[in-house]
Amino acid sequence: MRKVKKPVFFIVFAVIALFTLSTIFGVHSQYGDIVKTYVHGVGDIRLGIDIQGGVDVTFEPAGDVDATEEQMDAALETIKLRLANQNISDSETYLDYKSNRIIVRYPWQAGETDFNPEQAVKELGETAELTFRKGTDTSTDENGDTIPAGDIVLTGADVAQASTGGSKDDATGEITWVVTLDLNDSGKEKFYEATSELYQSKGQISIWMDNTMISAPSVSAVISDGKASISGNFTYESAKELADKINSGALPFSLETTSFKTISPTMGEGALNAMVIAGLITLLLIVVYMIVLYRLLGVVASITLIGQVAGMLAAVSGWFGFMSSTTLTIPGIAGIILSVGMGVDANIITGERIREELRKGKTLDTALYSGYHRAFSAIFDGNLTGILVSIVLMGAFGVPSSIWAKIFNHTIFWFFGATTEGVIYSFGFTLMTGLIMNFIMGVFAARLMTMSLSRFKCFQNKKLYGGGIDVKAD
Amino acid sequence: MSKQTKEAKEAKHFDVDVKVRDFCSKSKVFFIIGLALILISLLSTFTGVNVALEFKGGTIITYSYVGDVDENGISKELTSLVGSTVKVQQGDSLDSDTKTLSLSFTSNDGLTIDRQNDVTNKVKELCPDNEVTLLDANDVNARSGGEFFAKCIVAAVFAALILIIYIAFRFKQISGWSAGVCAVLGLLSTLVVTYGCVVLCRFEIDSNFMAVILTLLGYAVNDTIVIYDRIRENQTLLPGIQIRDLVNISDSQSLRRSIRTSVTTFSSMLVVTIVALVMGLDSILSFSIPMMAGIAMGTFNSICFVPSLWVWWQTKRGITVLKPAKKKAKTSV
Repeated sequence: MRKVKKPVFFIVFAVIALFTLSTIFGVHSQYGDIVKTYVHGVGDIRLGIDIQGGVDVTFEPAGDVDATEEQMDAALETIKLRLANQNISDSETYLDYKSNRIIVRYPWQAGETDFNPEQAVKELGETAELTFRKGTDTSTDENGDTIPAGDIVLTGADVAQASTGGSKDDATGEITWVVTLDLNDSGKEKFYEATSELYQSKGQISIWMDNTMISAPSVSAVISDGKASISGNFTYESAKELADKINSGALPFSLETTSFKTISPTMGEGALNAMVIAGLITLLLIVVYMIVLYRLLGVVASITLIGQVAGMLAAVSGWFGFMSSTTLTIPGIAGIILSVGMGVDANIITGERIREELRKGKTLDTALYSGYHRAFSAIFDGNLTGILVSIVLMGAFGVPSSIWAKIFNHTIFWFFGATTEGVIYSFGFTLMTGLIMNFIMGVFAARLMTMSLSRFKCFQNKKLYGGGIDVKAD
Repeated sequence: MSKQTKEAKEAKHFDVDVKVRDFCSKSKVFFIIGLALILISLLSTFTGVNVALEFKGGTIITYSYVGDVDENGISKELTSLVGSTVKVQQGDSLDSDTKTLSLSFTSNDGLTIDRQNDVTNKVKELCPDNEVTLLDANDVNARSGGEFFAKCIVAAVFAALILIIYIAFRFKQISGWSAGVCAVLGLLSTLVVTYGCVVLCRFEIDSNFMAVILTLLGYAVNDTIVIYDRIRENQTLLPGIQIRDLVNISDSQSLRRSIRTSVTTFSSMLVVTIVALVMGLDSILSFSIPMMAGIAMGTFNSICFVPSLWVWWQTKRGITVLKPAKKKAKTSV
């Protein structure tokens, strides 16, 4: 076995400490009154409506629309999808058929700057009907508004999937964003016919979002494979917004907001404080317990557990650039608790194994090596089954465009519609992150630190590892 | 009796340095305790199950008010009036600058005018100086209905299948399929007992309940797997050993770990419970108390119930000694 060198402990410790500190405090710079956030800290975590409260909005069909129950259901589904597309994972939605009201509650903290509730409300209830039309002709309706007049080639229903794509201009280095569309079979056929017809005359196909023309490309080729793209003056955000809107379909009628108010947490006032206090007391208890039971191994375990918690908070707050932040809810916290429990367990299993090896009279080096080695299979199987369960949950209840949901919705859950239950997704998300962190921290980092500490003369007393009087010191 | 002590003595001949406890001789007691708890939990359904607004539908009434009100106090008073949990939430209207009070609760016969008046009068009586005025009342349907439950069940069955297949594959040398099925049965009993605890404590079946169930799913499987891991390892270290001894030794060796881990997780939930009690947050109790019940049951299952069940199964199949690892891999079905 390769010997771990003395400085390794300090390097691993420093990495975990830096990671934890940056996760807690984030990295901000303040210039005058403007605070710029480079790395999200714990304070930037968006808390769920169950812990922090949020906004309560009531929608009703605008005008004299007498919606049927099916239409109200469809509208509700659309709103739920739009919520999910905005990474709001713990919304509550209620429907009253008698009064045709849809009540939507979602988390929002007063003073939150990068999330505008009024903008969100507007987007939730907005009608977005996508049409592809021949030519760019318009006419004027009775209200004097300009409306598109060309023959409809495609509607939003012909689109199977919309996504964003970017292409870089080699000369200027600028990225042009487009919305790419995968058409379904009905759309493929229609699009092929229209492009073959217009290709002769170098005609245009105009793309409309309700009564706004987004783009009007000339037909330069006959497209038969059902891949189309919309270009316009898109930024990444506006391209994603349009793709999300197309994906979540159009509302069957336009909705208006009839009431709009804030609401206190579902769990009651002070739920957040209670959870934070309980969390800190528990962490302190675990640290004391581990150190009393396992001495030096307990110290290492405590460091890695703190690193593990930091890792999960980092995943939720959006510390990792490649993952967008999500909302932390009570089930999400349950996921954190379970992973911490599994983390403690991993350390206890290892501690017990090392103690057994020492009792067999092995040398410290051998005992540590075989202790970690033997403990690994149990930790591996336990955590991997946990990860498998979390993948099933994320697949069953995640946003339809997420990777696991894509896999599962077409196989196991083909019979069901896409049900997005954000709170369960949120549990699966924190659990999976936590268990992966457990491999990194509880297995890998803990081992490196312990091995490196055992190189120091002062830490070579076996009592420091066996944690009891029943291990003979030599 | 003499047979058991003899067996325990025999186990001592093996190269293990723990006191080997004879778990297998008590398997009848474990089965009786396990089945009794499951039966009590299932029967608790008849005492009445409180299903939350999001799964059952119910009523949301909004009032405007001035001054300050005591959320938790109103909630307690109204819960005894309505007969099911009443959630009280405060807020500020963003379009008309008034304070609002939302009540939400389930009821069996929808919202009648009488019921609405009763509730309104009670709120006015509780807050005489707050100028409480009715803004709006809605009778809402269930947010997540039958399809949601059906999907949950499919997801759970699928997860259980994956667990069985995973265990069958990873633990094939200890007859993986039976080990997988026993693990899932143990898991199921943990979840049933947790359900019983929720019903008997009069908590609602809500998203907290979902969180608890999901957490215990992961926790209980991990607990069982740690024991299986020990059995798998000992089966290689001590070839030709009787299954009963194998399980007794593995259980005894894992006992310290199981107790220490359970003490840690149980006491962290105890801390949450105490903090919630001190701060008067009943809503958190419906999370932490069922968790404690589930952790206790999960520990019992992983040490006592599941290994006994597995040994019983092997004995039924006429197996008293597991075949060596390599051959076993082919014959395990």
